[in-house]
Amino acid sequence: MFNRTLLVLPVVLAFAATASADPSMAPEEVLQSLIDKVDSKYLTQSSQNIMMMPDNPAYWVAEEGEELFMEKRGPKNASLEGCDFGKGPGVLEGAYTEMPRYFADTGKVMDLESRLVHCMMTLQGFSKKDAAIKKRHGSGSDMMKLQTYIGSLSNGYAWNPPMDHPMETAMRDAGKELFYRRAGTLDFSCNTCHGDTGKRIRASVLPNINVPEEWTKAISWPAFRVGHDNVRSSQHRVRGCYWQMRQGRIEATSDASIALISYWTDAARGQPAILPDMKR
Amino acid sequence: MIKHKNYTTPALTLVAILFATFSYTAVADSLSDSLIFEQGGFRLSQKTQEGGTVKDRLTQDGIQKVCSKLGAASVDSNTAASVTSMARESIKKPAGGIKLGDWKKGEAVARSGYGFRVGHKTDDHSKREAGGNCYACHQLDPNEIAFGTLGPSLTGYGKLRGTGEPILNYAYEVIYNPHVYFPCTHMPRFGHNNVLTGQQISDVMAYLFDSASPVNQ
Repeated sequence: MFNRTLLVLPVVLAFAATASADPSMAPEEVLQSLIDKVDSKYLTQSSQNIMMMPDNPAYWVAEEGEELFMEKRGPKNASLEGCDFGKGPGVLEGAYTEMPRYFADTGKVMDLESRLVHCMMTLQGFSKKDAAIKKRHGSGSDMMKLQTYIGSLSNGYAWNPPMDHPMETAMRDAGKELFYRRAGTLDFSCNTCHGDTGKRIRASVLPNINVPEEWTKAISWPAFRVGHDNVRSSQHRVRGCYWQMRQGRIEATSDASIALISYWTDAARGQPAILPDMKR
Repeated sequence: MIKHKNYTTPALTLVAILFATFSYTAVADSLSDSLIFEQGGFRLSQKTQEGGTVKDRLTQDGIQKVCSKLGAASVDSNTAASVTSMARESIKKPAGGIKLGDWKKGEAVARSGYGFRVGHKTDDHSKREAGGNCYACHQLDPNEIAFGTLGPSLTGYGKLRGTGEPILNYAYEVIYNPHVYFPCTHMPRFGHNNVLTGQQISDVMAYLFDSASPVNQ
């Protein structure tokens, strides 16, 4: 028996050393693995949310998203199973954690939302005026149902946005400039709130982009926002931050928004995604 | 057509790739600026409360530009000198000298985060005055538990320092343009950027210095 333990031990150690990227873990277990690794007030700020994660309302939204994904819809009566999110048509496992990425068919770096819109237009024949595409926010929107479903299939995967194409690095680097770019009535940049550890706005602990174990939770969207009673996307977070910074409205899926998301995803590289997450 | 001043070779390559993809219409200093101003990044024509547009909001002034260039680095002595001198030039003192206003009104200003937000929802200053949102970053009244920690605690501010002319002058300048003393600070320039009126600044100062203010209990 003792010998057997000795044999297993190196395997266990090797597994632990390669961090916690493990798609078989539940989102709350992924979060716990990060809490065990770093001392972070951000990760632990709401024990109530952590407790509620197994019953995350986002699971229902993801379930509806799965149905929508498989359903033949739109003027072309097609499902989204032919949509390529970067790993081949219909391959969703670990696809989102490798976005934004460059897509040769559009010649653009695309995030989850812009790729989804692209597929709904080209494969299903929806137009930008259709509610399926136009309505971007809220748990009841097609967009959030689909994003939550697709995102949830990257739970536990390590963020790994490709940086092979020059457009991918160019967008990431432009995103970095945007992150530190001060402007507007209050002179804020993203770095004003996200460059330090353990700082608070009022009672909310802020995540630090320089601590990847903390930052992976910050960028793990879609997440159920308890205070909003809705599932929210990365694009919604970006819009909210610019609004709070008094810098006006960033356009959904604009290259500016995708550049910022490229930078923030790159900053969480190697850390496991928590999908769907639950946030304050 | 493209006239860039200081582009290095890799930057030129990127610009060429992006030129082919995005079709530039004008020349920007950097790719990020191009994404904001030329590639439809923001709703630039949206009106702002102060009578301009979002484009004006996103256009950087001297201090914003210089401090942005630091990225994650802390301020170096050359940057500090240039920012401090820009800030010093910006300071405008009230005509009748610095006076303390009404601490109760100052408390309301310190608590309110309303104002200047533009976008999917836009703050209406005709319905509600903009605030200073001091509590987002500072502790003030020791009985308020929901205070931010991005800035230092200001609890007991006047009690600890008194109300002499030099300290009133210093506090006024920090609120008006903190870069005079803290170059490239995260704190907004409440006077210089017209976030707060002169009266509001004097009310906030009363909240900090008045012996009856909860800050000093």
